[in-house]
Amino acid sequence: MNTFKNLHPITLMCYFLSILTISMFSFNPVFVISGLFGAILYLLMINNKASIKTFVGYLFLFIIIAITNPLFSHNGATPLFFINDSRITLEALLYGVFLSTMIIEVMLWFRCFNLTFDNEKLMYFFGKTFPKLGLIISMALHYIPNLISEYKSILSVQKTFGGKKGIGVYIKSFSAVITQSLENSIEKSNSMSARGYGKVKRTYYSNFKFTKYDLLYLVITVVLFIMSATSIILNTAYFNFYPTIEMNSITMTSALSYIAFLLLSLLPFVFQVKEEIKWKYLVSKI
Amino acid sequence: MKKLSALLIVIIAVFTGCTITSVDDYYNTTEKTGNNKITVTINCDTAVDYDNKIRKNGTILENYTVYLEDNSTVFDALKTACKENKIQFEYQGSDSSVYIEGIDYLYEFDCGELSGWEFSVNDEFKNVGCNNCPVKNGDKVEWLYTCDLGADIGNGYAGE
Repeated sequence: MNTFKNLHPITLMCYFLSILTISMFSFNPVFVISGLFGAILYLLMINNKASIKTFVGYLFLFIIIAITNPLFSHNGATPLFFINDSRITLEALLYGVFLSTMIIEVMLWFRCFNLTFDNEKLMYFFGKTFPKLGLIISMALHYIPNLISEYKSILSVQKTFGGKKGIGVYIKSFSAVITQSLENSIEKSNSMSARGYGKVKRTYYSNFKFTKYDLLYLVITVVLFIMSATSIILNTAYFNFYPTIEMNSITMTSALSYIAFLLLSLLPFVFQVKEEIKWKYLVSKI
Repeated sequence: MKKLSALLIVIIAVFTGCTITSVDDYYNTTEKTGNNKITVTINCDTAVDYDNKIRKNGTILENYTVYLEDNSTVFDALKTACKENKIQFEYQGSDSSVYIEGIDYLYEFDCGELSGWEFSVNDEFKNVGCNNCPVKNGDKVEWLYTCDLGADIGNGYAGE
């Protein structure tokens, strides 16, 4: 079955760059909500159980950020109540909600990026022109998960065999895992330079071919990106929180860019659904 | 469970130090009035000159009289005047030093890097925090917005 993951790295990179750019630079709830919607649908599509578990953590983060903002920012025209002479305003609360939604949206898109863009693609993308940068990104991306899994395995061994009790076990395992990771990185770099990494052009285990499908999706991505970026550049999708919530009235151009961004963020989901239906249909014919 | 209860205790401890009042209660309760008569002026003509999209009218409060108790400060005068006129203001800091970030939705840095609120007592700018500057009967307190670190309201940086 063909999936969104199997598209060419250049198409995928373009897609994620454009969606992250607009998510971070458009300061507008409409963009943020449609982006969040697309990210959640795609995540549910590609890994159901694991993503539902993480959503709880994100919800916790969401609540913390949303509550913290009105406690520290007292700007806004509609006071809800006063704490020690400081006003808690509706605008500050909504701003906090907006900000936390935006942060979570970008985090979820990075998660999608991690699940879609594996090491092989990353090395393909950076290996030719920037071998060192590619290696660093690939190492950095899997550093923390690697560290956590190593830590867990060391801890379980220490708990079973180790003489220490209580907090000492954790400290001992932590120092062990740090030492191990430092040693590993030195060994890895030595081994890679011994094999001549970055000296000559790299060859690849998996061969990515740029098909007409990739071209089609690349063109769709670029067109939708330009359409949604116009409203940011022309400032027609202007949104202001303080002191009162103001929004530019929806015009032809801003409506077009809202729709374009919604389509852009739903693209992976739509692609996945389309392929799934196609697959089911083909299976039913056998 | 231990952690959770500890967290709960911390949250309760933080909130017991707070008094929560509703909007109506906050604006309708009148503070105890003293005998010291102080006039408060809040003005931001410089912000209008800077960009009249930010503000159309520079006068926020003109010679408003507040009655304060003895040993009051410039901060008390501002607080009382804002409360009685339902003007929004935001400050930073506590007992040792209070800094006014914004009055009536006009904040520091809204009109460039060198903008913010400064105060003068009887046309004399003071280099202390507003809660460390005492006022006495008949004083005139002015809160002025500057876009140029005080130079445009007559409090130019002398330099050393």
